[in-house]
Parts: sequence; C-alpha cells; structure tokens
Amino acid sequence: MSEKDIMIDAVDVNKEYRRAGAIIRALADVNLKIRSGEFVIIQGPTGCGKSTLLNVLSGLDLPDSGRIIFDGENIARATEDRLSKLRRHKIGFVFQDFNLVNTLTGIENVESVLWPTVLRQKEIENRAIAALRDVDLLDRKDHFPVQMSGGEKQRCAIARAIIHRPRVILADEPTGNLDPQSEKEVMGLLKKINKEMETTILVVTHRNLSSYGDKTIRMDRGKIVKIT
Amino acid sequence: MWRKAILLSLREKRVFVVFTLIYTTLIFLTSFFIHLGIDGTFGELAWNFVLIFFGTSLFLSLLYAWILVSRKRRVWATFKCIGYTNKNILVLVSGMILFTTLVGFFIVIEALFHYAAIVAYINQTGANITPLILVDLVPVVFTSLIFIGVQIIAFILAYRKVLKVRPIIALKKVSE
Repeated sequence: MSEKDIMIDAVDVNKEYRRAGAIIRALADVNLKIRSGEFVIIQGPTGCGKSTLLNVLSGLDLPDSGRIIFDGENIARATEDRLSKLRRHKIGFVFQDFNLVNTLTGIENVESVLWPTVLRQKEIENRAIAALRDVDLLDRKDHFPVQMSGGEKQRCAIARAIIHRPRVILADEPTGNLDPQSEKEVMGLLKKINKEMETTILVVTHRNLSSYGDKTIRMDRGKIVKIT
Repeated sequence: MWRKAILLSLREKRVFVVFTLIYTTLIFLTSFFIHLGIDGTFGELAWNFVLIFFGTSLFLSLLYAWILVSRKRRVWATFKCIGYTNKNILVLVSGMILFTTLVGFFIVIEALFHYAAIVAYINQTGANITPLILVDLVPVVFTSLIFIGVQIIAFILAYRKVLKVRPIIALKKVSE
C-alpha cells in the first residue's frame, strides 16, 4: 500500500473522557490505515469507542495524543476554520437521526451544503437534483422531512452527503433507526456510491453489516481487536 | 447566504410572525412618541417612553437571538458538520433577526401610508377629518435605524453562543 493510496492514517491515537469523576479511555493507542476508495465497517458494542474514533477521524473531536493524517494533512492540530473547510470539501456526513432541517424541503436540505460556497443558485440546484437522482429520491424533492419515511429521510441525508462529491463519507449508525428493508436499501446505496464514485466510506455500527464492507474493524474498550 | 436567512426566517412561521408583530408595534409606538416629543405635546414623558421602547427593543433582539441559536442548536451543529464556519452561521442568524425588523419597519410604513392616503382621500370629498395618529416618516426611519443598531449587541450575543455550539452535538442521538 503506497502512501498515496492512503486516505486516512491514524497513528497512536489516544482519547480519554472524564465522566462522573472516572476517567474513561475511549481510544487506546489506535493505529489504522484506510485506503482511498475503501468501504470500511467499524463494528463493536455500545461504548467501545467506535463513535469517538469516527469523531476524531473527521476532526469533530481532537485526540489527546497521536496523529490523524487525512488526505495528507495532519488534522489533529488543524484550526477550526481549516477543519470546516476540510469537512465542506472532502467529507460527507450521514447521521443516525438523519439531521435534516424540518423547515426545509428535501432539495433545500441537499442544497444547504453548498449555500456558503460561491456557486450560483442554478448550479447548486442542478447539483442537488443530480444528487437526489443518484439516491432515487427526485420525486420527493419538494417534500418536507416530516412527509418522508425513515428510509427516504436517510436517502435524502445521503444525497446531502454526496452533493459536493466528497472524498470520504462518514456514517454514524446510518441504519440505526431503519427497518430491515430500508437498511438494505441504504447500505446498498452506500455500496453503489463507493463503487461508482470511488468514495471512501466509513460506517460505524453495532449491527452486523460486514457483508457490505471491504474491511471490518472490530473494536472493544477503545482498542482495535480485529481487522478482517 | 442572506437570501437563505430570509428563507429560514419565513419557514419559522410562528416565531417569525410573533416577533414581526412585536417589532411592528414597538417601531410604531417608538416613532409615535418621538413624534410627540418633537411636537412637545407630551413633554418630557414622551422621551421617557422612547427610552423604555429602545430598552425593550434591545431585550427583544437579545431574546430573539437567544431563541434562534438555542432552540436550533442541533441544526447549527449539523451545519458545522457539513462544513459551515461560525461566520456562516452568524450570517444566517443575523439575517433572520435583521429581516424580521425590516419587515416590521415596512409594515409600519405601509400602514401609515395607507392611513394617510385614506384620510387625504376622504378629505378631498369635502369632509374634514383630523387624523388621530399620523407619524412623520423621519421618526419611523430614525427608530428603525436605532433598532437595527441595537441589534449589533444581539449579533454579538448570537456569535458567542454560536461559538459554543460544538458540531459533535449533531452526532448525539435524539434521545440522549
């Protein structure tokens, strides 16, 4: 694996929390390399540190020690503005609770990623339509989130995550609130995006979704216990 | 981004309508008492009322900023996750507050224009109606400018609160 192929490189990453007077070691000497275009499932029981790992890899949280090299840049010491730019251009987020803005329609939610950019509204709209078409949700573009099913909301959230063609999509329990049928659809969609757009995808889950990934990382008590 | 602030403002129907109505009433009352103060018909008392209304507008702006940032913390956190900077969010929040005040200003202007037009129209037919309340344009514009100026303090509060919104909140489950 050449250095050029590596999208995310976590080196000796440690993270501790203080909760009710006790110190919780959320990440303990985590070392991890994720290649460009890889579909990675991070699996483990609740409280094993998988969400903390996702937060640290995306720059939402800072490690206590160690380095996170994201597309060649150490983000463990980056400024907040730099991290914002990195997220705007290179990362797409998919949340368990969808996190769509209820007062915006489907297409407006997707467009919202590009509002702070210099792109013209027409261009933003065209990209949003393309993203909604990619997730097969164009017919719902003018619907508000409350008018959508769970699966549709998550597909809308995925459209929002891909509108700016990010290098990496980070999904935190993307199927946590979905029924088995919608879970299949959403995971199938992420797989399709991974193949067709060559986007690196990291899915954090407590469910067994290994069959969708190229690599499964199992975590327990803040440590990587197995990579398959 | 300002246009998106207007969109977000209009979609927050209930909050928008309530605050627009309060601003409209306040702008009208403040302008009216400035008008009376300049006229001298109400003496010192008119200016005391003006000060009270300016104080109320400051409180109202702070309350509006606090509501917009605190009630929508998860939305701003999500926006931070998808790449918004603190400044981007401040533009949205400030735009929402500013737009509400401007709508209040235009409603007052519209209402006064129509009122003046109706009185002039009726008087043209030979009747001699003395308008009960007719505020000059200058106090209304002056009041609105002061109200907008006062909002700078609300923007500072909003910015301080926006800084405290951590993007990581967006990843917390709704039940947490």
